[in-house]
Amino acid sequence: MAGARAAETVPRPDGAPPRAGRFDERFLRRLESLVLTIRRSARMSAGLLRANRASKRVGAGLEFADHRDYAAGDDLRYLDWNLYGRLGRLALRLFQEEEDLLVEVLVDASASMGVGNPPKLDLALQIGAALAYVGLANLDRVALSPLGDDAAPALPPARGKGAILPILRFLDGVRAGGRVGLAAAVRAFLSRRRRRRRGLAIVISDFYDPAGHRAALDLLRHHRLEVVAIQVSAPQELAPEVHGDVELRDIETGESRELTVSPSVLAAYRRRHQTLLRDLEGYCRERAIPCYTVVSDQPFDAAVLRMFRAGGLLR
Amino acid sequence: MGLGRLLSGPLSASAVLVATAIGAAVIGVLYLVRLRRRRVVVSFAPLWLDAAGPRRTTTWARRLRDLLSFLLATALLALVVAATMDTRASTADADGRSLVVLIDRSASMSARVGATGVVGKVGKARSTSRLDAAKARATAIVDGLGPADRALVASFAADTVAEIGFESDGGRLRRAVAAVAPSEEPGDLPRALTFASAVLRGRPRPTVVLVSDGAFTEEARRAIPAGIDVRYAGVGQTGRREGGNVGIISFAARRVPADPSAVEAAVVAQNFGTRPAAVALEISAGAATVERVRLELGPGERRRHQLPNVFAADARLQARLLTADGKPLADGGDDELALDDTAFAVVPLLPRRRVLRVGGPNLYLDGALLSLGNTVTVDRLAPAAAEAQRARWPDYDLVIFDGVAPGPPPTQGRFLYLDAHGAGSPFAERGAVRDPVIGDVRRDHPLARQLDLSDVNISAARRLALAPGDVAVAGSFGVPLVIARERPGLRVAATSFDPRKSDLPMRPAFPLLIANALAWAPGRSADAAIDAPPALLTGASARPRDDLPEIAIAHAGFHQAGDMIVAANLGDVRESDTTPAAELDLGGHRLAPPDPPAWRGRVHLPTLALWLALALLLVECVTYHRRWTT
Repeated sequence: MAGARAAETVPRPDGAPPRAGRFDERFLRRLESLVLTIRRSARMSAGLLRANRASKRVGAGLEFADHRDYAAGDDLRYLDWNLYGRLGRLALRLFQEEEDLLVEVLVDASASMGVGNPPKLDLALQIGAALAYVGLANLDRVALSPLGDDAAPALPPARGKGAILPILRFLDGVRAGGRVGLAAAVRAFLSRRRRRRRGLAIVISDFYDPAGHRAALDLLRHHRLEVVAIQVSAPQELAPEVHGDVELRDIETGESRELTVSPSVLAAYRRRHQTLLRDLEGYCRERAIPCYTVVSDQPFDAAVLRMFRAGGLLR
Repeated sequence: MGLGRLLSGPLSASAVLVATAIGAAVIGVLYLVRLRRRRVVVSFAPLWLDAAGPRRTTTWARRLRDLLSFLLATALLALVVAATMDTRASTADADGRSLVVLIDRSASMSARVGATGVVGKVGKARSTSRLDAAKARATAIVDGLGPADRALVASFAADTVAEIGFESDGGRLRRAVAAVAPSEEPGDLPRALTFASAVLRGRPRPTVVLVSDGAFTEEARRAIPAGIDVRYAGVGQTGRREGGNVGIISFAARRVPADPSAVEAAVVAQNFGTRPAAVALEISAGAATVERVRLELGPGERRRHQLPNVFAADARLQARLLTADGKPLADGGDDELALDDTAFAVVPLLPRRRVLRVGGPNLYLDGALLSLGNTVTVDRLAPAAAEAQRARWPDYDLVIFDGVAPGPPPTQGRFLYLDAHGAGSPFAERGAVRDPVIGDVRRDHPLARQLDLSDVNISAARRLALAPGDVAVAGSFGVPLVIARERPGLRVAATSFDPRKSDLPMRPAFPLLIANALAWAPGRSADAAIDAPPALLTGASARPRDDLPEIAIAHAGFHQAGDMIVAANLGDVRESDTTPAAELDLGGHRLAPPDPPAWRGRVHLPTLALWLALALLLVECVTYHRRWTT
């Protein structure tokens, strides 16, 4: 149904003419096809993506979890009379609370995400939209939060496939700009959360942060969010074609420096970039954080499908 | 200002200023553009900065480097502009000179100036001539002209030729100097100076620079043009002088009067060097060598060598000086001037003369006439028949009356009376003499040339009376035996005795007497009768014969003048004296050397400026990081 509605180009919230290429009809068709493909997979059929996954919270669920001593004021309906008969001690039966999954999609909207042709932000938003749509299709609640000084406010959690269009409109209005300190942005994101619910935090960023990515990811983990890291790079960041005397300018900080780019400098840059990526992957591997690396010139559906097939994104 | 003018020569000061201003502006703009590097925006600068390592230059150092680079470019511009500028402007004279560069191209300037040591294609050391050195010197002089100077390039030998008019363009002047060709004529310095004076008349600061080896006579150096500054640039005296010169200064050939079929030649050769010279003298007629003799000449020695009987199968004789082993003398290394190693002469043609013999049979006389060969055509007439043809007597070169004397005596013509007597005799008879002994002979008279009349036995002779003006060529104690009479239109020779009554016909003197009479009677000496065509000299004009046009002789060798072949040799012996003169006196004053060039120094400024610019450019390319920016 979403695909049928999405036959038209998604209108932009600011009333500006819709941008072709990011969330057009072709995108929605590919999105629907992607979800069908994911559903057909074995892991999907096993319900691993279901919203009624057992949460770690103990509450009014169906599945027994544990006992605890009775305290005044407890609901007497959960007293385990059998245990009282055997041990003579009042104990309360605890059950795992069943709750829907909150999927937080954090998209880096800093100026560096505007690099590339198409910009890295486009692919990041398309991946975010795809994951949101998958979540909505599985009855999860999905929230979106652009990260960045100039980023738009976060989109509150929504449920159901009908929420995909507001999400797409929201994402279509996201623009790259400003600078992002990942840790600060995550800290701000966390402070905006009204409830410290558990959930899934998908961070889509280039992870170009002088302060590093560890603090940001640790913050998410410490707030009981399961983290998924998706690193986006542009082709010219992987293999830049710059030679000679240039004035190098950082797109976020505005810092500039005259530099003579020689083959040796280029080789050193590539080594540094590989080191950055390997560091991110190593960090995530140590902490069982799924980590994916995508290049901005590849199709979003292929990237998402590769993530699902690689495993780890859903459990 | 058109492009052609920009490319045709040095730029004027205003053009240089404009070019400098435009160039400086362009360089300034280019450096401003160059300093603004291409801006590249990157996602994450620390990756680049870490890769580039620590900053290598501080800001002030970079600015200093940029400033130095800008100054370097400006210096390059200044050097290139300086190369296009007329550098002589700095030494400009307010009043330019009028300069006549007189280049000596006479025969002596063809002398070799040592071996240069330059190896040519054939592997032999090449040598340059004095004229080459003179042209190089003249080129240096015109290159050193001040901007206001005007120069005329002229060359001289026997005549003077202006190679180019007054000109300030160095390129044209150099081309004019290069066009000067060597000559085989003698140098006529007074004529050249007269020419220079004429062209300098009325011009400011008249100056003559004489580029020569200074081989001029005292007479030629006697006068100096008034009001003209004459300078002397000597050539030929540079370096160690290894050789001298041996040359033929005279070569002549003639037919022997007594035997016109025989040819005798005389060669005069001189060693102008300071060392003894051994040479071979070779005489050739046409392509055949007919004589070769060896000559050893001491320093400065002049020697005449007589060749009494040259087999001249060809009328053209050539004398050549060779080395002792038969190579051309100029190739031997010691001889500086090749021009005088060869001389030319033409053997005179055998003259054909008509003789009328009047008288009876006389074998002696006929034999003597026969000895003259086919150069004589003899008509024989009896006295009566001769009388009938009296009007034709003057047509003959000689009319011989043998024992007869038709009367009246002729008043016009050429005659030889043998035993003159009778009414028709031009000499009155005063008696007879028996057994006269020839005692008095006028050796200087043409009739007596090479005659040996001693011991001639004469049985009887007539005593003839001499008229005023008559000459007793031979006599016996006052009795004339051989008489010569010269009157206007009339020449008469006579013997007062009958040769057949003496033993004279048995002696060589008899045919010689006939030959002398045949030579003298027409009014020429015996030599002149078989003389060669006039010997011509280079640098002169001559009319070989009255009926031929005048020809100018520029080169030694054989020249055709109408139906006549004439030989020409170097015009002045002094050209063979190749001793150069480092100093030259003219009119009693020693000539000063020419002024140094307006641009002092041997370095050509434009060339130096361009080389400096190139060097700076290389330094700049090496020291400044210029990489292709994409």
